[in-house]
Amino acid sequence: MPEAPKPPDRRGDAGVGWAVLSTLLAGILVWGGIGWLIDLWLHTWVGIVVGMLVGFAGAIYLIIRKYGN
Amino acid sequence: MTIVLADPPCKGDNGFCAPGTDSFMFKPLVEWEWLNIHFQITKITILVWISVVLLIVLLLAAVRNPKIVPERGQWMAESVYGLVRNNIAEDMIGHEGLRFAPYLATLFCFILVTNIWGIIPVAQISPNAHIAYPAFLAIISWLMFNIVGIRKHGAKKYFGDILFMPGVPKVMYILLTPIEFISTLIVRPITLAVRLFANMFAGHLLLLVFTLGTTYLLSVHNFSKIFALPSFLMTILLTFFELFIEILQAYVFVVLTASYLQGALAEEH
Repeated sequence: MPEAPKPPDRRGDAGVGWAVLSTLLAGILVWGGIGWLIDLWLHTWVGIVVGMLVGFAGAIYLIIRKYGN
Repeated sequence: MTIVLADPPCKGDNGFCAPGTDSFMFKPLVEWEWLNIHFQITKITILVWISVVLLIVLLLAAVRNPKIVPERGQWMAESVYGLVRNNIAEDMIGHEGLRFAPYLATLFCFILVTNIWGIIPVAQISPNAHIAYPAFLAIISWLMFNIVGIRKHGAKKYFGDILFMPGVPKVMYILLTPIEFISTLIVRPITLAVRLFANMFAGHLLLLVFTLGTTYLLSVHNFSKIFALPSFLMTILLTFFELFIEILQAYVFVVLTASYLQGALAEEH
């Protein structure tokens, strides 16, 4: 008798989409915010741009490590 | 036609009164001061009370005299509970999730009933269109998944795993820890509350725009009168659309709460 196929493990699938979104959002907000504070302190303007890019990169890294494969 | 208990926002102008945030503020039926806090009983409060009474009465009636072959009321109550228990609690969290089924089902029923007020004639607004209700529900869910996680893993391991993702070079923590902190402990409850609130708020505004548009267009004395019909048809269409959104948002709120609980209980999490 052939073994019945195991149902795929869909645990927490629905939450992953929102988790990815909130990680991206948090990444850009946190590091963009830190960059903006540095801008205020040093009277520059690149901090917020660099901060947002760094935050974006960090968020992507996190998402790949967590939900990749 | 909406029976709006709020003042029309227009003053002095005879043109179309566009609905705004004023459309969400209702005249208090009763108000009092206590400890410098201003209390008001409004239409919103009344709707929440009715929802709670309705749920208690309907659910008690449904299970008061349970039968092996259920009647309609019992069948409906069992379907809703079964959906939340099997398709949300068990499927998403696993066997451990069954003990959260009563909470998740209660949450689902409460949000569903309070949402559906948005399209019930005379009521015509969901209490969840006021941020306070979704915010409080989100706080309960937030407290719950954190407490569940702390009780299972201990505070040190629970927060440690959230803030310092295992298997990452130590230097990366400078970059990643702030992101993890904000996204798990701050963005999660805020998005949970805002998603429900914004959907109900926007839905109410949409319906208002088209109902008020219909009545306004009927009152003008020129060619534009004919546009009252499409505006009215849009109201009907959007009412069905709102019903769909109201059910969907109740479901989404519960699914996300379950997914946060799952995350808090997971071994590596």
